[in-house]
Amino acid sequence: MQQLSADDLRHVLLSANPALSRFNPLPRILFVNDFDEGTHGWCELSGNHDNNLDNLRKKARDLRPPQLSNCSFFDTGTHGSISGNYALKVSTRPVPNHMSQLIKRFTYVAKGLVQFETYFTYKAEVVEPGEIDSERGSRAWDGNYHPSAAQFGEFTISNDVGEGEDGKRYHCALRYQNTDHDGNFVQKWKYKTSLQPTTKMERSGTASPDDYHVMHPDDWEDVPGGYQALCYNEIPTKINWHYLRWVFDTRTRRNTELQVNDLVMDLRDLPVPVYDEAYYGCERLLNFCIDVRTYAPVRNFLWLDSVVVSADW
Amino acid sequence: MRHSFTAVIEQANVYTANFDTEPYETGWATEARWFVRLLEINGDSPGLVLHPQISPDGLHWMDEGSEPITFDATGMMQSLALRDFGHWLRLRAELAEGTTSVKVLIYLALKE
Repeated sequence: MQQLSADDLRHVLLSANPALSRFNPLPRILFVNDFDEGTHGWCELSGNHDNNLDNLRKKARDLRPPQLSNCSFFDTGTHGSISGNYALKVSTRPVPNHMSQLIKRFTYVAKGLVQFETYFTYKAEVVEPGEIDSERGSRAWDGNYHPSAAQFGEFTISNDVGEGEDGKRYHCALRYQNTDHDGNFVQKWKYKTSLQPTTKMERSGTASPDDYHVMHPDDWEDVPGGYQALCYNEIPTKINWHYLRWVFDTRTRRNTELQVNDLVMDLRDLPVPVYDEAYYGCERLLNFCIDVRTYAPVRNFLWLDSVVVSADW
Repeated sequence: MRHSFTAVIEQANVYTANFDTEPYETGWATEARWFVRLLEINGDSPGLVLHPQISPDGLHWMDEGSEPITFDATGMMQSLALRDFGHWLRLRAELAEGTTSVKVLIYLALKE
């Protein structure tokens, strides 16, 4: 009789678990977050301050609280999530360039591969006909295409890794840019090429950025092979869940791989900016962030059904 | 154990005209309580009134009907409890005539 290896047995157990069989976790699962059970520690990001909220830097304030959403819409009511009713919702204000960001704060036990997996969906909010330029993106509703598809700007997944005062700190960030600021489709994955200005940097004279993640808004490059049209599904009240798997390596301080549905992107050769200066109190810091930004005067939404984070240590 | 969540709806933001807070989804909650801290108010005859509002879809809004939260000076915190509110909540804020600006910290405390 053939004996099962430990890997085979693990595969069988994961495959037989309805909550996990749609994920591909690395050997050690750090957390499984099903948002039917609550927010699981995903909270509003805030910049640093001295207990005076007036001293929050411009791009690190008003980043909006998470919402437990049953994904309800005006035309069909509750859409619900993959299993159960609720998903974690990130929502911008209806203000051009407003960004909303959530964070989950962790530390690491050892350096190695870390994998973030989620099922997500995204939309621009429904707006009344004529409320904004209905042909943003120069294309009107034709029964299939809906102009709201061009009212969704971007979303970004990122981390914040700190090795301690005797080590380095860096942020990996990967962005799906749906349109440019005029509403023309881009539909590409991007990686950043400059540091995220910190509160410490801003208080030392670095200018407040226009783009939260980088020194200058143009500091983004295309991920090779990173063109991807996601499933908008015709109108702003139909949501379809997408699989995303992102791996980064805290040994090399690099991204490793990004998979979104059937597109897999090798990220190992892409540079990740590293801070020159040391940061106090960030020993073994391992934070996970998600954000969404609108370019139009329309709320943009990102929903996560569930998140699984795993590591190879 | 019952779930609970506190959302900071206004993070010490300054307004110079009437405003509505951002829509917030509350479908999972049975109890809600607004807490409002008026951090600053400026003008000749300062006043701020906040009406709770409900919505079926997060797009179309109506007053919930409870007595509004009313301020005429800073240094105060007020709250308002709500039940049977459906799936969305927000506040409709009115600055009294003669009020030039307000700075508010607004929390929404939710319980299953």
